[in-house]
Amino acid sequence: MSTKALVLAAALAAALLPATASAQGKYVHANNSNYDTLDPHAVFDVGRAATRINMYDGLYRWVDNPPKQIPWLAESHEISPDGLTWTFKLRKDVKFHDGTLMTADDVVYSMERILAVKRGVGGLLGPMVAPGNTKALDAGTVQFKLSEPSALFGALVADIAVVNSKLVKRNEKDGDWGQAWLAKNEAGTGSYKLKRYDPAIGFIAERFKDHFYPWGPKYFDEIEFRTVLETNTRILGLIKGDYHGLDGYLTPDAIDRLRAAPGVQVIEEESMRVFQVSFNNQRPPLDDVNLRKALSYAFDYDAIINDIMKGTVIRNPTIIPNNMWGAPKDVKGYTYDLEKAKEYLAKVKQPIRPLAMGTLAGFSDTEQVAAILQNGARKIGVEIKLESAPWGVVSSRTQNDDQMYDIVGYPKSTFYADPNNWLGELFGSRYIPTRNVARYRNPEVDKRIEKAMLATTPQAERQRLNEEAARIVFDDAPGIWVYNTKWFGPYSAKVGGVRFSPIGNGQEMRWAYFK
Amino acid sequence: MRSLRRFLADRAALLGTVLILLLVLAAVLAPVLAPYPSDVFDFHTANRLRPPSDAHWLGTDRMGSDILSRLLFGARITIAIAVIAVGTAVVIGVPIGLVAGFYGGWPGDILMRVSDVFLAVPQIVLAIAIAQTLGPSIENVILALSLTYWPFWARLVYAETRSLKNEVFVESAIALGASPLRVMVMHVLPNIASAIIVRTSIGMGATILTAAALGFLGLGAPSPTPEWGRMIAESREFLPDAWWYATAPGIAIFLVVMGFNLLGDGLRDILDPRIRRGAAGKA
Amino acid sequence: MRRFEIILTRLLWLVPTVVGLVVIVFAIANVVPTDPVRIIAGENANPEQIEALRVKLGYDKPLYVQLLRYFADLLHGEMGTSLYSQRPIIDDLTSRLPATLELTLAAILLAVALGIPLGVVSALRRNSLLDHGLRVVTVSGLAIASFWLAMELQFLFAMKLAIAPLNGRIAGFGPDTVTGLFIVDCLLSWDIESLGSAMRHLALPALTLALPAAATIVRFTRAGVLEVINSSSVLYQSAMGLPRPIIVWKYVLRSALISTVTQIGLIFGVLLSGAVVVEAVFDWPGLGTFAVQSILQSDHKAIMGFTIWAGCMFVLINLAVDVLQTVIDPRSTR
Repeated sequence: MSTKALVLAAALAAALLPATASAQGKYVHANNSNYDTLDPHAVFDVGRAATRINMYDGLYRWVDNPPKQIPWLAESHEISPDGLTWTFKLRKDVKFHDGTLMTADDVVYSMERILAVKRGVGGLLGPMVAPGNTKALDAGTVQFKLSEPSALFGALVADIAVVNSKLVKRNEKDGDWGQAWLAKNEAGTGSYKLKRYDPAIGFIAERFKDHFYPWGPKYFDEIEFRTVLETNTRILGLIKGDYHGLDGYLTPDAIDRLRAAPGVQVIEEESMRVFQVSFNNQRPPLDDVNLRKALSYAFDYDAIINDIMKGTVIRNPTIIPNNMWGAPKDVKGYTYDLEKAKEYLAKVKQPIRPLAMGTLAGFSDTEQVAAILQNGARKIGVEIKLESAPWGVVSSRTQNDDQMYDIVGYPKSTFYADPNNWLGELFGSRYIPTRNVARYRNPEVDKRIEKAMLATTPQAERQRLNEEAARIVFDDAPGIWVYNTKWFGPYSAKVGGVRFSPIGNGQEMRWAYFK
Repeated sequence: MRSLRRFLADRAALLGTVLILLLVLAAVLAPVLAPYPSDVFDFHTANRLRPPSDAHWLGTDRMGSDILSRLLFGARITIAIAVIAVGTAVVIGVPIGLVAGFYGGWPGDILMRVSDVFLAVPQIVLAIAIAQTLGPSIENVILALSLTYWPFWARLVYAETRSLKNEVFVESAIALGASPLRVMVMHVLPNIASAIIVRTSIGMGATILTAAALGFLGLGAPSPTPEWGRMIAESREFLPDAWWYATAPGIAIFLVVMGFNLLGDGLRDILDPRIRRGAAGKA
Repeated sequence: MRRFEIILTRLLWLVPTVVGLVVIVFAIANVVPTDPVRIIAGENANPEQIEALRVKLGYDKPLYVQLLRYFADLLHGEMGTSLYSQRPIIDDLTSRLPATLELTLAAILLAVALGIPLGVVSALRRNSLLDHGLRVVTVSGLAIASFWLAMELQFLFAMKLAIAPLNGRIAGFGPDTVTGLFIVDCLLSWDIESLGSAMRHLALPALTLALPAAATIVRFTRAGVLEVINSSSVLYQSAMGLPRPIIVWKYVLRSALISTVTQIGLIFGVLLSGAVVVEAVFDWPGLGTFAVQSILQSDHKAIMGFTIWAGCMFVLINLAVDVLQTVIDPRSTR
């Protein structure tokens, strides 16, 4: 395994280098989401990733772009031929921040905790592993017995953040798995150790000298992640030098301003965040493929990509990000063509009532995409009414068949690097309605997705199955796929070593340093 | 007649009237006055965020639409919200105050306590809570505002009615066998009408401000409705460069609210001499 | 004695008022189609998990049971747990109170420092150019949308002139908490750098809130001074040959300020519980921002908690104002 060799080389290099590393100062990051809880098992979104990946470790770790997993708390793993038993060999030199050694018991406790609190990654792992099916074979070996031979489990082990079981158990209250305590305290093994936390402000963490993974010659002594909701404040702060880094999904106008500012660098990476619009495929009139296609042709892709996003995003013709394996490379995508839109509209036999479309309040990208669709639809004589609501409301309405909008659009981020993250979750019938809010159901697609999901299917076969399924979905137009986001990481020019991965979005700070 | 002359002599009140007339004019004639009436829905994304020019007097917004045109159509929404919300509040508040004040006793007490509950929270807080719960739309903004504002009229009418009840003409009407309803509508109401009118004029300004704040928080009508508060919220992320984007709707709100406040001041001087100028108005 | 009776009655009325408020807020929080349990469970939860959580959190019970339970909790000082932070809402509220208090006090001080002198001068030079000018300014001050004023101040002072921070309360974490008021805490620990930062951050939001408040104070002071000046006692003292400045600042102002003090109290109540939008624009980590965040996240329990909290504070401050008024001005005891 080449990654292993790399890790070893890095370890050697670190050991040989003289310990010259002195005070490297404090890195201050301004983030657009709240760090309202520190519990690594409670949240699973990109906005709050910094707490999970800097203070906690998973069995493996996603790095680089395209993302790959490197051994982390676990050195290696084996899968039984039936794909149901996964056995991980753990490192023996991993210390928690309080000095205790991490053992397989901690992994078992963490997994049970994830399944019990049912938040964050628990929603994905829940159907794969039943409580009680994680066992410590010995102090350095942990075994998961899966309920189904899911290949996705392998993509999710990076998110099994391991907590210090002894410490958390001491702070449990009324069998809450320490939820109240872990919300504002930290019990991890991660590269940084919590120093100060205020949910209204953010957190400061200091470097954990004894972290198992060797530190490079340069690093930050302290990292501070501060919540700064207002985009302009983050931008001005970076330009003035108050902050050293920002979250990477800014508007193109903001990126232009940052590029022009001295002392600021903008690191550009292709990301995996597809802006998609889902139609309600089960409710008339959008159960008619002709209407769905008509709308797909009535959407002005250029207006969004070139004018509003100023070319900072790339057209993504299918639901799978272009840069993900499994994306069919030959599909060209729908174009803005009102004539074709009208042709398809003419084939719609049933009457078309005004359609309701949900947008996310405060997310101008969703509002602008919706506005463009509304405008195009109006030109072919279809009325769309926009309803703006906070994410919580939109999300809960998508889960209810009666309250589901006719159309709803939002970007689909990367939670794990597998085509299933996009194609399977949005259009596989097993995810109706949780993530397949389009309620799209096609046996031909299901057959392929289900087979591609199995750990027992060879990789080449999985790729082919995903490509085929994506083509079928494309022809059925159950949604509109607009663009794949680029990540523009704005950092102070002094910062070096930023290691971007679409999972975590460059917020893992252990690799970075001041030049 | 003398009142009218006094009103015309009050330059501030006159200015207020002119401002309100301008608002009404803008709303009614929006399709004629707007240089690009279709820009309420239409986008020209290649043309977005342009500063004021001959073609676009107030510049263009984030979708490339003409801000002046949207502003003019927005006047309709402003009027609709203010008139319907305040109207509903009056329709709810006045009868409650009238009945409570006329009958007194425990029913009056209860009605007034209920209005106390509503007055126990700053109006913006309650309006936000209600509008958020009901979901963002113009109808819900209006509903939220009416539900939070009616107690002001109830209180006012209650106090006025109670003091009028002991007046000779009311007592004699009752003694002559007039039905309570008749007394309330024919004798009490006309005598407190001026106080209601003054309160309503001031209330319009406050309502417009609150409605704009709700729109600003994203609780108002969804896009592309050209609601002024919403336009300001949309402009926020473009503020450092597109200074014109927030300026126009902000000034529009300012002028209209000032119009109602000046008019209210002037009306009070004429209709309600018991209250001194400058002795009312809330922060 | 009469005074205590009034205060006691008012305090007792507080109970039904709060109960009514809870019922209203509870009712509106439950007419929505939003499913709070789904939000708590997170987007990755499956239906079984959601149902399990529903039972655990008591959302499966009938509404009146939930309401009674809410009351019972409230009596123990519990407002439930925030959907997101998983922390008690009452903790969130108390930890954010000092920020709001600091901003409110700063705004009121500023408003008083501006408003009272201008009001007096305006009254003394009645119908002068200055008086007319001030009238325009005060009417304008009450007509500006606060969030718009906030944005324009940010545009000018933070973005263009770059002499004030755009928003926030301090750069990074604040001084060690003693009172929770950053200015006071910085002085106590003699942390000059943080003090400067705190004051710079305070300037724009305080100014935004102070302008309309100052406008109100100017109007009331002017009216009060005019009334006293025209009263017989001042004419009498004037006739006795007392110097005009002494009459104005010593005799007139004291009696003229009674209604102004009431207004200041009312403004205090409104700001302390309701500077929602301005706090949000300046990202001020106080109660208002908490309210807006709860709204954006559809955190109904937090919204209820905030509304009840704001209601209680508002009622108590109004009560305090009334009491204060009976102390200053015995005539008002009816």
